[in-house]
Formats: sequence, C-alpha cells, structure tokens
Amino acid sequence: MHRFTYTTMHKLLSIGQVAELLGVSIDTLRRWDSAGRLCSIRSGVHGHRFYNRSDIDQYLQDINTVALNWAKSTSAVEPNPDVYCQTRDIFQARLEKLQSELSKITPIEVVSLITAVAGEIGNNSFDHNLGNWPDIPGVFFSYAMRNRKVVLADRGQGILTTLKRVRSELANSSEALKMAFTETVSGRYPETRGNGLKFVRSIIVKNPFSLYFQTGDAQLYLKKDDDELNIKQTETIIKGCYALISFEELL
Amino acid sequence: MNIELKKFGTTLVSRPAGKEAWLAFQPVLKEVLLDEKIIVNFDGVVVLTPSWADEFLTPLRSNFKDKVELININNPSVKATLSILDDSGLSSYL
Repeated sequence: MHRFTYTTMHKLLSIGQVAELLGVSIDTLRRWDSAGRLCSIRSGVHGHRFYNRSDIDQYLQDINTVALNWAKSTSAVEPNPDVYCQTRDIFQARLEKLQSELSKITPIEVVSLITAVAGEIGNNSFDHNLGNWPDIPGVFFSYAMRNRKVVLADRGQGILTTLKRVRSELANSSEALKMAFTETVSGRYPETRGNGLKFVRSIIVKNPFSLYFQTGDAQLYLKKDDDELNIKQTETIIKGCYALISFEELL
Repeated sequence: MNIELKKFGTTLVSRPAGKEAWLAFQPVLKEVLLDEKIIVNFDGVVVLTPSWADEFLTPLRSNFKDKVELININNPSVKATLSILDDSGLSSYL
C-alpha cells in the first residue's frame, strides 16, 4: 500500500478542491474518474478520492488544446458531454453557470463583460450555422477558472463562407475575419445586424483581457489597447471558429 | 409605462431570446398611450449583448423614438452594447 507522507499529501488535492478549481461538480469528477477521463488516487479506509496536483495542472492547460483539436479534426466526433452544447438552450444554461463561477472570483464588472463576450461568440456560432452545420451541430464550450481561460469552438461553416454570401468580393479568411471585427455586416441578409464581433473587440481592447480567434486559415490575436487588428495566416485550417478568451491579468 | 428588463432574464444574450421577448411584449406595447413615456429599466440585468438588444431595444426605439427612456444603464455590458448600437440611436442614451 502506498504510504502517504506529508510531502505526498501536500501535492494532493481533495475532490472538493478539484471541483472548485475546474468549475464542475463532485459528481462530474466521479463520473470522469469512472470513465478514466481524469483519474483519482484512492486513500484511507473509506477510499476517498484525491488528485495529483500535476494532473490537474495538466488538465487545466489542456482545455484549449482539446477544443482546438476537436475543431480542426477531419473526423467528426461529438465532444465529451461536459463541454458539448448541441443546442442554444444548453449553451445558455452553461453560460449562466460560467457567470456564476466567475462571480465567485471576480467583480461584477468582469463577470458581466467576460460572460457577454463568451455569449456573443457562442451565439454567433448558432446564428450563422442554423440548418447548415456541416457535421457536428453546436459548440464546444469550456473554461478553466484557475487559468482564467474560456474556450469556444464550432465545426460550422466559418466566417468566410458566411460573409461571402453578402460580400462576394471576399477572397480569403483573413479578409473575412477583418471584416467581421471591423464592419457592421451580417451573413444573414436581409437582416441588418452584424455587430457581434465588433462588440467583442470593443470590450477586449478596453479591458485586461485577450482573445485568440481562428477561422479557416486566419488567426487574430487581440488584447488591451490594440488599435490595429493583428491577423495572420495559420498553417492548420479550422473550417468553423475557435476562440480563446483569457483574463489572466486578474489572477 | 415601465419595462423591467430583468423580468425577461438577467443574462440577455441571444437573438431568439430577444425576438421572443419582443413578440411576447407586443400586446402590452399596444396599450401605450399617445403621449406616454416608455421607461426601460436595466436594474438587475447582469449581462446584455447586441444580439439580444438588436431584437428588442432596436425595434422599441425605432417604433417609439424619443418616447423611450433608459434608466439604470451602469452595467458595463449594457454600456458596451448601447455604444455599439449607434445606428439605432441607442448610443445617445450614454
């Protein structure tokens, strides 16, 4: 039997501590343990679950990688139910859960703005792909409170395809990404909408947040006080959209 | 007339929710008198985005113009939303 020394115990976290760090329930952690997704260490006569801190650190760092890999994968597989919002109703419920988790660690001003940014990006995915999802409908939505990160991804049509319907002159994803973040234009003609990503930009550049956004082979990195859009071409292609919102300055 | 937005929810973010709120409120809006102010109260709203606002506030402003008055608009997402909806004239309330 493994002997738990003080040093070992110091590196272990209780299931309650892990639930708090990951922003999930204890029941969810038990399910993940049974499924082998995030394994615990059993200790004591009652077999209480403990977790290696290094495993949890690894898991927190990986959330955005898991989302990115899912978005760019050639094989269409539904994400884990804990991060998968197939419909807008599920997304709304989990967005409100994010809002609740944020309110435990940040002031209401930050809660309001981060939730608004995540809400706008997630709802954009549904707005622009309704009835047109290429394979898996809905969004990947997860967050790591400890790392101050929120990640969203979809396997939709992407911004270029959507905007090209109303702006046929668009030549590539970089142009489409720039247009989406700077002009009031909607791919849902004849609707006169299309403020969503402009709104996201207006919040990011005025606050200690950052945003990494990729669609097609174009990526945008946006942070506080940015006047210009820093758009670059990527080697890997995402057909839909991927967004990583960070607010690590509030750690 | 007073419209308490929190009665539609405190996280007002999606287009369908905004559109539904607008449609559901039509019978009430039909009762507005000719010279009556429409006061929209944002107290209690935690999150607002342009998607929701474009479906509710934009048509409200378009239909009733200067009769619309907005109060308790200090929440930062409310301010950010109103400032982005400048075409509809909503930014003038800031």
